[in-house]
Amino acid sequence: MAKKILIIEDDKFLRKIIKKKLLLEKYEIIEAIDGEKGIAAAKEKLPDLILLDLVLPEMDGFEVLKNIKESQESSKIPVIILSNLGESENIKKGLDLGADDYLIKSKLDPGEITTKIAGILSKNNK
Amino acid sequence: MFQKNKKKKLIEEWIYENDVTVTRYLIDGLLAFNSENKIFLMNPAAERFLGAREQDVLGKTVLELSSFPKFNPLVSLLGGGLEEYYRKELDFGEDLVLEITSVHMKIEGERVSTLVILHNITRQKLAEKMKSEFVNLAAHQLRVPISGIKWFLQTLLDENIGDLNKKQKEIVEQAVKINSKVVYLLDDLLKVIEIDQGKYLKKLALNSVESVIRSAIEEAEPVLKEKKVKIKLVKSEGDIPEVMVDRERLKIAIKNIIDNAAKYTFGGGSIKVFLNRQEKCVQVKIKDTGVGIPLSQQEKVFNKFFRASNALKINTEGSGLGLYIAKNIIEAHQGRIWFESEENKGTTFYFTIPIKKEYAEFLTEEFY
Repeated sequence: MAKKILIIEDDKFLRKIIKKKLLLEKYEIIEAIDGEKGIAAAKEKLPDLILLDLVLPEMDGFEVLKNIKESQESSKIPVIILSNLGESENIKKGLDLGADDYLIKSKLDPGEITTKIAGILSKNNK
Repeated sequence: MFQKNKKKKLIEEWIYENDVTVTRYLIDGLLAFNSENKIFLMNPAAERFLGAREQDVLGKTVLELSSFPKFNPLVSLLGGGLEEYYRKELDFGEDLVLEITSVHMKIEGERVSTLVILHNITRQKLAEKMKSEFVNLAAHQLRVPISGIKWFLQTLLDENIGDLNKKQKEIVEQAVKINSKVVYLLDDLLKVIEIDQGKYLKKLALNSVESVIRSAIEEAEPVLKEKKVKIKLVKSEGDIPEVMVDRERLKIAIKNIIDNAAKYTFGGGSIKVFLNRQEKCVQVKIKDTGVGIPLSQQEKVFNKFFRASNALKINTEGSGLGLYIAKNIIEAHQGRIWFESEENKGTTFYFTIPIKKEYAEFLTEEFY
């Protein structure tokens, strides 16, 4: 069965690009354009992994992550932060809140991101 | 002995009587201590900065001044022996940053007085902070479209949305390369801001310098390959202890030096990285066979945005931030960095990292 990835990203074009790449890798994709919808999708659809942007309208990605990790249904879902915020304090904050990885958008291309996703999913399968 | 004391007293009186009127009008704060390290002059500007009146502090020793709360940063800096300092920055809280210069006045080689000048740099620091915040914001704002461009170009290049002909592929590859340079420049700018804000070392832990060097070499692989430059790590015999470092930061410093060496070394040239233990530190030496740095420009090598004239002819695109970042990282670890260079022969960079095994040992000394 195809693994489900939830993409929480407000930028339509970036979301589309990463979605296209992941579909090519045979993942099933769920999209959310803001934090609130992302949290709801995480709890209802129980994806295998969440790709989370940090700069989101209304609720920022850190709050979303906190909520996901504190909620019983979604706490075990691995989360990869995918953001342009590259300062060490943001990275530390993200990892401390329970993210499995913190990727900086400008440093990776969609292909490299799919490799990271595959790595985390296979680690979780073991 | 009596003569000497009399002379000292006369000097003290002379300073007080002759200079006191002038000092009243100075916008810099001034404190004067006698040979027994007791304060005998405090001008109005110093009174304002330090929140005390001259009449209340006269005759007190430096250490006794610590009973006045606002004097504490100053007392900690100068110590009981009133050390000499040149333009040392001190944060007094409540939006007051002073630059401290202390000078020993000597007569026939003997200290007769110590002057402490307090220069207010609060506005300058505020302007620097605003500038940093602006650059930080601009760099972050630029990162968003740059990442988007990177992703779009890579999607084209991966031919996920259709095949490209040879010419189109070449153009997109070129665009990816140019875009990556902007990404690196923005990263460097953000690192410089972190350095300027004094928040640079994050995760100090015991690490093997050899393994950090190996990671840095791995990351520098693309530029080494592009320039066809060979690199070799030469480790001295015997054990090299692990040292307390921020691994990621140290890797950036080493990679910046290697990148720089590779960029300005012609194909067929080589870089050797030597690692050895000295009495109190681990020393790394990075030697290239590159173009060297012209003697007249060597003193500027670690300056922000500096590019040597011969380097500009070879590569017009460097940011001039790599070595500035490297120097700040090494010094933040209480290490030293320096170089030797001869034009057309090559350059050797050296740096040291003190051997400290305990975090507490690291914290006892000043670092940021």
